[in-house]
Amino acid sequence: MQSKEAVVEDGEIKSVTAVGSEIDGWTNFGDDDIMQQQYTIQAEEAKKVPFVGDKEPLSSLAAEYKLGSPILLEKIKVLDEQYAAIRRTRGDGNCFFRSFMFSYLEHIMECQDQAEIDRIQANVEKSRKALQTLGYADLTFEDFFALFLEQLESVIQGKETSISHEELVLRSRDQSISDYVVMFFRFVTSAEIQKRAEFFEPFILGLTNTTVEQFCKSSVEPMGEESDHMHITALSDALGIPIRVVYLDRSSCDTGGVSVNHHDFMPVAGDLPNASCSSEKNIPFITLLYRPGHYDILYTK
Amino acid sequence: MAEKHNLKNPAVKRILQELKEMQSNPSDDYLSLPLEENIFEWQFAIRGPRDTEFEGGIYHGRIQLPSEYPFKPPSFMLLTPSGRFETQTKICLSISNHHPEHWQPSWSVRTALVALIAFMPTNPNGALGSLNYKKEDRRALAIKSREAPPKFGTPERQRLIDEIHEYMLSKSSPVPQLAPSQVSEEHSKTEEAEAEAQVNLHNPEALPAGVEIPDQAGDRVVEEQELPVNVNSNPAGVEASMDNSSSGSSNQLLQKSDARVQNLKPETRIQKSDDRLFTLAAIGLTIAIVVLLLKKFIKSTEYGAVFMDES
Repeated sequence: MQSKEAVVEDGEIKSVTAVGSEIDGWTNFGDDDIMQQQYTIQAEEAKKVPFVGDKEPLSSLAAEYKLGSPILLEKIKVLDEQYAAIRRTRGDGNCFFRSFMFSYLEHIMECQDQAEIDRIQANVEKSRKALQTLGYADLTFEDFFALFLEQLESVIQGKETSISHEELVLRSRDQSISDYVVMFFRFVTSAEIQKRAEFFEPFILGLTNTTVEQFCKSSVEPMGEESDHMHITALSDALGIPIRVVYLDRSSCDTGGVSVNHHDFMPVAGDLPNASCSSEKNIPFITLLYRPGHYDILYTK
Repeated sequence: MAEKHNLKNPAVKRILQELKEMQSNPSDDYLSLPLEENIFEWQFAIRGPRDTEFEGGIYHGRIQLPSEYPFKPPSFMLLTPSGRFETQTKICLSISNHHPEHWQPSWSVRTALVALIAFMPTNPNGALGSLNYKKEDRRALAIKSREAPPKFGTPERQRLIDEIHEYMLSKSSPVPQLAPSQVSEEHSKTEEAEAEAQVNLHNPEALPAGVEIPDQAGDRVVEEQELPVNVNSNPAGVEASMDNSSSGSSNQLLQKSDARVQNLKPETRIQKSDDRLFTLAAIGLTIAIVVLLLKKFIKSTEYGAVFMDES
């Protein structure tokens, strides 16, 4: 299954894929081959969904589970009472960060809140300093930070660099922009976890039995690594942005009635966003729908 | 260089930043430069790590950066024979494109080269594109690697390889050599191992299942078989066959390196009398410590205390 590389005289490499006849059924099919095939299937499936999809009515979620668990269908009905729409993101392991990115930039675009941008820029600067203190070379993170700040400025209208909502959607689907912003959030998350190592260490040890630094290197910074409670807590704390995660799973309620659980990640720092757009200061304006292993964006009614 | 490239492409921007950073902060242990026509392809040379059989060697290679860099890892190919990695073969490292799941965008060409140097003395464990030559063969290859840069690719590539080689030679310290006594010892060991290897190379049945003679055609990805855990038959022979894939070529290399080694001054040897002095001093210290401990023990026991009072 391994593709073999042959080097041509001029130094250019031409890939020669192993012919099917070389594999006698499954006899030569090793673990690496299985993993490789799994990656290929995942990549192909992921490409069917854009990085950030279109806004869809919540009924599309019900249609998805038409033949599924009755509990899930009941829960979707409950969701329908509070939420109007869903925006799907690609399930490539970066879905939490991508959902957060789009939801946050869209919120800023709607609110046109310059004070919020100033507040975030100050927090971003703290993260930058934290990374420098942790020994990261500037060139390894500077581009990601610059690109995020560029996107942040572009959603404020009335400037030469201002963009429309359609352009925001297009940029979120453009890999060269979207991946860079995702990577920015990964760096911010990693910096926060390492900066507050004593707080996160017990959770990390319980989860992975590795050091804080190893956890960040293996489970936070690499692209495609799925996000956990720890990632969300760290990002929310670092940027001072509250996040609500609504859980759509098969868990049933003890009382007999069906309810949808949610968890609000409230930043530890006192500097929360202004309530210019949201009804209350401490109600998260970013709401994500969590289904086992995946995050999408939810829109309230 | 920057004018030629699309600075709107984040990968290009990042690569140019790395180039600038490497030029402003050069290292004596490695040098890497991109081709002028394609900044996604870099030629590099690394110096063999100190206090290893690779010390003094200059090992050239090529790095191919993907268009999605730094999100996807580069691929590495060594061009200079080292006895550790196959030449003109994409090698399998945790920092290379064989393991994209380990790659981090916070790494760079510089960190990758530092990691590559660190990987050289490690056990290959049957990784793709790895070799497991004997130390003396690797030493011989390290010496040979300085003679001339490898021939590879287009004139532009070759020009860059030659430039890098000149730079590395200008920054290098003399090659550490073996004392003649050590050379003769190692040479006799090599001959024994080669004799064993010859037997195994001509009699593949003697090799346990799962062990193959390494493929010498180094122009493709070769998968090495790991030795099964519970194989008992002829482990020494296995080692020899793995280490000496081509006894003829290694003989020639050793002869060349021996000729060069014999022209060099022998290392200053530590005098035997010095050794004796050290030994005597150590014995004296040991005796003194034992006596002190005995005294302490006698004092601490009641009998000892009474005995001491009486005296």
